[in-house]
Amino acid sequence: MSDVDFENQLHSIAKQMNYPRTPDIAGRVMSRLQPATKPRFIFKGWARSLTLIVVFIFSLMLIPPVRAAVLEFIQIGIVRIFPRSTESPIDSPQTATPQSFVPATATPYVGFYPLLSDLSRLAGERTLSQAQDLVAPYYPIPLPAYPSDLGEPDHVFVQDADGSMTILVWLDPNDTEKVLLSLHIVPEGSWAIHKSEPVTIQETQVNGQRAVWAVGPYPLRYSNGDLDFTRLVVGYVLIWVEGEITYRLESALPMEEAIKVAESLQPAP
Amino acid sequence: MDETTLIRRAAQGDVAAWEPLVLAHQQAVFRLAYLLLGDADDAEDIAQETFLRAWDHLKRFDETRPLRPWLLSISANLSRNRRRSAGRYVSALVRAFREQPKEIPLDEDSAQRTEANELWRAVQQLDLPDQQIVYLRYFLDLPVAETAEVLQIAEGTVKSRLSRALEKLRKIIHQDFPVLVEGREV
Repeated sequence: MSDVDFENQLHSIAKQMNYPRTPDIAGRVMSRLQPATKPRFIFKGWARSLTLIVVFIFSLMLIPPVRAAVLEFIQIGIVRIFPRSTESPIDSPQTATPQSFVPATATPYVGFYPLLSDLSRLAGERTLSQAQDLVAPYYPIPLPAYPSDLGEPDHVFVQDADGSMTILVWLDPNDTEKVLLSLHIVPEGSWAIHKSEPVTIQETQVNGQRAVWAVGPYPLRYSNGDLDFTRLVVGYVLIWVEGEITYRLESALPMEEAIKVAESLQPAP
Repeated sequence: MDETTLIRRAAQGDVAAWEPLVLAHQQAVFRLAYLLLGDADDAEDIAQETFLRAWDHLKRFDETRPLRPWLLSISANLSRNRRRSAGRYVSALVRAFREQPKEIPLDEDSAQRTEANELWRAVQQLDLPDQQIVYLRYFLDLPVAETAEVLQIAEGTVKSRLSRALEKLRKIIHQDFPVLVEGREV
C-alpha cells in the first residue's frame, strides 16, 4: 500500500473515533469567569491528589534507607542537584565563604565564561516579542533592570515549541562569542533539570527567598518526558523559585552580582 | 458576528463575546486533550483551563489570526504537563481501584469504531510528539498549515515529521494490531 493510500486509510478510520460526549465547557468556563469565582488553576481532584502524595512521601521518609536516598540530592524548583559528596552536600549561609570559590574582586572569572556555542545548538530561536506571545498563557517573561545598560537579550529561545521553557541570552559586547548572561525560565511541571556534582554549591537568597548558587563545570541534564539532552555547564549558576516558575541565571558574574541581576527582574514592556 | 470581532471584544473584557468562541472550539479542544490523556475527566479539566488561560492572555493574541490553532496549542501543552505530573499517576491509581472503571461507550455493531479505537491504541505506542501530530492531522482532521501553526513549526517540518511518524505507525500496526491489517489492509 502506498503512503498516500495509507494516509487515506488513517483518515478514514480516525474519523470513526468514538469520543465521549463533549461536556458543557462553555457553561463552566463562563461561570468561572464571573467575579466571585472560586480560586483558579485548581484542577478537579487536585487537593485529594496532593494529600495522597504528601502521605505517600511521608510514609517513605519513615524508612531510613529511603530517607537517606531521598536526601542525597538538593531540590529547588524543578532543579535537582546531585552534590559531589553526600557528607556535606551544601554550605549553609552561616558557614559559607563565597570567597573560597568566587574571585575576591567583582571581575568575572574568565575561565568560567560560558560560550555562545554551548547555547547555539538550542532549537526554537524566536524574537523576544514572539516568545512573549508564545508563553503568555503560562508566565510573563521578565527582563533584568540591572545592569542598567544590559538592554534586551541578544537571543531568545522557546524550547519545546509550545511555550514551555524560555532561555534569554545576552552576549558580551566585547566578544560576541561569549555569553554574558543566560536566564532560563522554567515553569513547574514542564522540564526537569538535573545537575551532577557541581564543584561548589551554596545556599543564598533572592528577594528573601531560598536560592542556590552552583559552580561548574558539571553536566546539566534537561528532560521533559519527550526530550532528554545533556550539556556541560562551565559558568556560575544562580537558581531560585518564584511561584510556579524556576529561574536559572547562568553567567560569569560572582554571586553578589548575579543576585543583583536576579532581584532586578521586571516585567518586560 | 465574525470571529475576529468576537476576539476583539473579548480581549476588551467582554465575557459575553467569549462564550460563542468557547462554544465554537470546545469540542476540538476537549477531543485533543482526551486523545492525549485518555480520560474524559482530565480532558474536561484541561479544556476548561485552556479557555481560562486563553481569556487571560487574549490581549496578546493577534486577532487577525485564527483562534483554533492557538487554543489547541495551549490544550496540548497543558495535557502534556498533566501527563507528566504526579497528580496524574495518583489519578490513575485511584481509577485503578474503581469497582467499575469508566469505559468508552461503543455501538454494538460498530466495527468501524472498534477499528478507530484499535488505531488509537496503536498511536499511543508512538512517542508523544508523534502522537500529537497524528492526532492533529488525522483524528482532528486539521490541514497541514493549521497543524504547523499549532505546533509552531514550518509546514515542511510537519510533512517530514508526519512521514516519520507514519512509518513507525505502520510497523506498529503490522506487528501488534492485525485487526487493522486484516480489516483494511493498512
